[in-house]
Amino acid sequence: MDPDAVAKAFVEHYYSTFDANRPGLVSLYQEGSMLTFEGQKIQGSQNIVAKLTSLPFQQCKHNITTVDCQPSGPAGGMLVFVSGNLQLAGEQHALKFSQMFHLISNQGTYYVFNDIFRLNYA
Amino acid sequence: MAETNKEEVASAFVNHYYHLFDNDRSSLSSIYNPTSLLSFEGQKIYGVENISNKLKQLPFDQCHHLISTVDSQPSSMAGGCGGILVFVSGSLQLHGEDHPLRFSQMFHLIPGLQGSFFVQNEMFRLNYG
Repeated sequence: MDPDAVAKAFVEHYYSTFDANRPGLVSLYQEGSMLTFEGQKIQGSQNIVAKLTSLPFQQCKHNITTVDCQPSGPAGGMLVFVSGNLQLAGEQHALKFSQMFHLISNQGTYYVFNDIFRLNYA
Repeated sequence: MAETNKEEVASAFVNHYYHLFDNDRSSLSSIYNPTSLLSFEGQKIYGVENISNKLKQLPFDQCHHLISTVDSQPSSMAGGCGGILVFVSGSLQLHGEDHPLRFSQMFHLIPGLQGSFFVQNEMFRLNYG
């Protein structure tokens, strides 16, 4: 499958899971996965999903503006660079964000090994 | 390499990269190699020569990057390739322009010879308001 199509499919799956079923994100990370969320470093799928499910909002919607991807090296990993905005229920203005993922292939599917998220303040 | 050393590498790289970009853009060729890949505002550019040409041809002479955030993580498990992912956000002031442009950028650094690192992957996006 075309890498750009893989990246696009992953991004759609990630954010739709985040927006509709945040605990479901646990299947996208593994024990060695790393998340840096607004500068806070978290390791391992359990800890990462605990962080994401404890964020101070119930409902949210990610609107993706750009997706760039590149192969990360000979091991078959993929780097995905996303920008977009995050609309929280009840908030007037959406928050702009950028995020990067490093996806590693494991028996035909990809999981997130590296994840870095930053809000983009004006 | 210990975790904190990787953060130091990331920090040193970011300072070096933006200093070169703002003061001596043609010298950036030293940090890429023939397998490097740059995505610049969606355009994919492959290899040190093409990347250097792209950066040299950007439609401004003078610029200044102001870095707001730098995050880094090892790109593989211990014993792997030793790569480092660096995620930067900041603003870019172009000479003569009223308002700076906000941007996000990511680098994947791979160890080269004698403790140096080169840029294997790079992606740049302006963040429009």
